[in-house]
Amino acid sequence: MTQLTIVCSLIVLGYIFGKWAENRHFRSIHEREEKFLPLPATSSKKPIGDIGPIIRAELVTGSVVISVDYFKRILAGLRNIVGGPLQPYETLLDRARREAILRLKENCPRATQVINLRIETSSISKGEGNAIGSVEVLAFGTALYGEETQPSYSGI
Amino acid sequence: MKYEPALPPHNDNISHHHPLREFFLLISGILVFLVLAFWSLGMLVDVAVDYIPPEKEAQLFAKVDFNLEFPSGDSSHRQAFLKTLMDGLGRCINLPFPITMTVIESDQANAIALPGGKVVVFSKIFDFVQSENGLAFVLAHELGHFKNRDHLRGLGRGFVLAALSTVLLGANSDVSQMLASTSEFQGAQYSQSRESQADRTALHALNCYYGHVGGATELFEVLQEQEGQWDLSMWHYFSSHPELQARIDDLHRWREENNFPVGTTKTLKD
Repeated sequence: MTQLTIVCSLIVLGYIFGKWAENRHFRSIHEREEKFLPLPATSSKKPIGDIGPIIRAELVTGSVVISVDYFKRILAGLRNIVGGPLQPYETLLDRARREAILRLKENCPRATQVINLRIETSSISKGEGNAIGSVEVLAFGTALYGEETQPSYSGI
Repeated sequence: MKYEPALPPHNDNISHHHPLREFFLLISGILVFLVLAFWSLGMLVDVAVDYIPPEKEAQLFAKVDFNLEFPSGDSSHRQAFLKTLMDGLGRCINLPFPITMTVIESDQANAIALPGGKVVVFSKIFDFVQSENGLAFVLAHELGHFKNRDHLRGLGRGFVLAALSTVLLGANSDVSQMLASTSEFQGAQYSQSRESQADRTALHALNCYYGHVGGATELFEVLQEQEGQWDLSMWHYFSSHPELQARIDDLHRWREENNFPVGTTKTLKD
């Protein structure tokens, strides 16, 4: 009975706080994506369009580690039994990918373009039963700086 | 080609179903499956138990150490008295195999029936029962469990639950913890019916041994007084033993149905 109460309270707490944190994060992602729209980040090997002479190129990275809440862990565990789309982790990974790219862009606010963008995902827990279910996403690419100075996004 | 920055109108990389809906669908489906599996495998255990002869059971559990970490009881005089009482009650119940009994010093007022024909009496119980008849009822209740093979049924169900949980969820997952805590409910309901059956057997044994059923409800009444304000209305659904008042009522009802007389109880000697 005590165990049931503890587990239920953890699920409720995980749901409430997890949902709140997720909504807040998505709002922040939307706002920052709007602001960084003029800075394209693509997987192309060459710059897109004519950006004129390139004066500088540098490696830029952005990484993020996000953990799942207790509710999502339980929901994913239940889903593991019957199979199907792992809905609770979809939002987790979507947020992590977008946040990593945003952090990468925040690292080179004056760049003209980011090319060669790559994303790597790794699980922190490595599938161990009771370890914390966290995910790390690393985005890296080449930031190109043209002659025309782009507006600075710093301070956003 | 000109680059035109734009954001997608909606996010297609995530599902838009409500997670709570998915949670309740999954948990109810899995619980229904588990309850059905546990129930049907439990029925199989009941069938299997009838095919295990007492000799085989004694042989199987002869070398099992139940790991009771209490110092052994002291008084050989008390042990001898209990042994006589238990043998007499055993004859009344027609137990087909001998029972060994141990008294251990403990703060719990309890007695348990272990596989292999072992009864363990926790010494605190002597502070609660006031008469020999009251004590005899407790012993007869444990003998009733042996008569009905409840110890094997309980053990079998424990194995079924552990096996189901491990096969489905792995040994130590969060979900298995959660499901284990909800399955207490079903196990408790089953166990309540077995306890009730053992009470009934004990009442018959008491009447056979003393010629009356005085003192049958003695322990329950003392325990009820002790519990007092702790009587939480929903709690008994999760408890493996039926609510005390329900047990007392049942005993009174069975006594009336069988026209068992109520006589004076014998005082318990130290």
